[in-house]
Amino acid sequence: MNTSKRRLVLASFVSLGLILTACGDDEGASEATDAPTTEAAGESTTTAAGEESTTTAAGGEIAGGEVFVTGSSTVEPISVLVGELADELSGGSLAVTVEGPGTGDGFKKFCAGEADISDASRKIKDEEAASCAEAGVEFVEIEVAIDGLTVATSPNNAAVTCLDIPALYSLVGPESEGFAKWSDAQALATEVGTTSAAFPDADLTVTGPGPESGTYDTFVEFAIKGLAEERGKEDTARSDYTQSPNDNLIVEGIEGSDSSLGWVGYAFFAAEADRMKAIEIDAGDGCVAPTEETIADGSYPFSRSLYIYVSTTALAENPAVGSFVDIYLSADGLAKVSEAGYVDLPADRIAASTAAWDAAKA
Amino acid sequence: MAVTASIRESSAAVVRASLTGGKRDVKGMLFAAALLLCLLTAMFTLTILLWDVVAQAIPVFQKRSTGFLTNDLASSPDKAGVSQGIWGSLVIAGFVVLLAFPVGIAAGVYLEEYAKPGRLTSFIQLNIRNLAGVPSVVYGILGLVVFVQGLERFTGGRSVISAGITLAILVMPIIIITTAESVRAVPSGLREAGYGVGGTRWETTRHHVLPYAAPGILTGTMLAVARALGEAAPLLLIGAITGRLASPEGQTVVERLQGKFTAMPIIIYGWSNEVNKPGKITGLTFEDLTSAAIVVLLVIVLVLNAAAILLRNRFEKRRQS
Repeated sequence: MNTSKRRLVLASFVSLGLILTACGDDEGASEATDAPTTEAAGESTTTAAGEESTTTAAGGEIAGGEVFVTGSSTVEPISVLVGELADELSGGSLAVTVEGPGTGDGFKKFCAGEADISDASRKIKDEEAASCAEAGVEFVEIEVAIDGLTVATSPNNAAVTCLDIPALYSLVGPESEGFAKWSDAQALATEVGTTSAAFPDADLTVTGPGPESGTYDTFVEFAIKGLAEERGKEDTARSDYTQSPNDNLIVEGIEGSDSSLGWVGYAFFAAEADRMKAIEIDAGDGCVAPTEETIADGSYPFSRSLYIYVSTTALAENPAVGSFVDIYLSADGLAKVSEAGYVDLPADRIAASTAAWDAAKA
Repeated sequence: MAVTASIRESSAAVVRASLTGGKRDVKGMLFAAALLLCLLTAMFTLTILLWDVVAQAIPVFQKRSTGFLTNDLASSPDKAGVSQGIWGSLVIAGFVVLLAFPVGIAAGVYLEEYAKPGRLTSFIQLNIRNLAGVPSVVYGILGLVVFVQGLERFTGGRSVISAGITLAILVMPIIIITTAESVRAVPSGLREAGYGVGGTRWETTRHHVLPYAAPGILTGTMLAVARALGEAAPLLLIGAITGRLASPEGQTVVERLQGKFTAMPIIIYGWSNEVNKPGKITGLTFEDLTSAAIVVLLVIVLVLNAAAILLRNRFEKRRQS
């Protein structure tokens, strides 16, 4: 009798504890929803002027509801910032959830109808578009920003300042497997017609994103594809380099060896410019360093567009998707591009994006 | 215990001295030193690791105070917080407690106390042991196929319900094995005493075996919860959110359970991948926030473990009295 009573007390103690933690957390959650709005209120004094124009430029009322954005982790920060702007402008009724598993994974979910919008750091591939079509998901492609792919080395690497495309092909391309030193690639580089300075006799440690990443695809397209096709090789990077989906680990890899080579998105380079040295790229018109100006005017050869793909199938059912994209393409929305560390589109390309979106809405 | 051990050792020393003529036991001392060195190496690594994380996390708690615990995911390290991750992780722990504990403990007791020893039983035991060693990603795929896609109407798809059930299944073999081990460790005299006074199998198990095995079972459940809280790979497959998780207005608890979610390991994973640009107000980076999130996850695990240890001590005290 006594023991069973004690056990009962014990059991209620445990369940009480569980309830308490659950309640305590609920409080936390409701506070959490308050906190950003108060902080946002402080912020909106600076954007208050633009706020009205946003709503009018967007074509009036903001429809409430839920929007789910998946796709590129490169574009994710822009979508998160615009999501926060949407939360602010709609007073919380436009609930935007954003994740960034990668461009390829994003299109898989998007074409399965799981997401309303897919962020992308490259254009959709034909087979991805085909799977969308098969599942009956129609979409519109909207260019939102420009990113410069930065090829970088350690700041201590004085020997390398500029590389041309044959040089990059012979250092990272499919024929470079097994090259442990920069100088190992010299013969191949000369064969494919490099005009870059001679490679140093130093260890070659390559760090970059893996094939699941849009940044990898872009690098292959810019630096490897042309020569690989010419020489009848596969258009991939060498497989024996350190791959990571985590950009900070790539930065660490580039910083970690005095004669490293790697590539990251421009936003990551700009945030960590003291830990890396950007290598100038020569695509036939002389060496160009990646800066906001050279990326925006297109003179830096490794610049790529960042896109959002909006499901018009989802748009037809969910007006919140339309409101979110309206906010994305408003002046305040596009201002988030530079806030996230990317380069703004020139005015004519913004106009083209807006026109594409208007046509899709109509 | 300590007293008897020292008595044993001192008597051994007397006997040994008379046998070896008072020579020092060099080999024994070397062995003891090697053991101590191993322990110190393990402690040293752990301390460095913890210190590294805690040192980086302290400024976050100083500058952000409770805001870090109560805010949602956000773009800026000035605003981002872990509240949604704490909620997700606690719900997952809740699923483990509600699903894996009863089923796992019952299965373990059945295997040891009820099942007839034979080929089938040992085959099942072997398989459960193998299940405990299956990589967590595999359970993630199971969760994706069965709970996210198959039972979408009930779980809501990529939701915390799917995650909770998947992780409960992931840790179930651990609970079954530790339960079976601790039930096996119960002296057979206890059972015989129960049967000897005419107790049924249920009464003997309930009043003699289970209370004696309880501390061991609790240790197993504690490990299971800690494992479930720390898993990231299955959650990535199920689709925990890394960027921004909006909570629509007027969401009910059921809707929240069936909606998109995140959890502490995913937040740690996601933040470690953010651009390390210092926030304008606090000067903190997402790297600092990652450390702080690790500390929060460690504290959650420690608190849950402490609760289990308190319970275990109660059981042990009762057993001795």
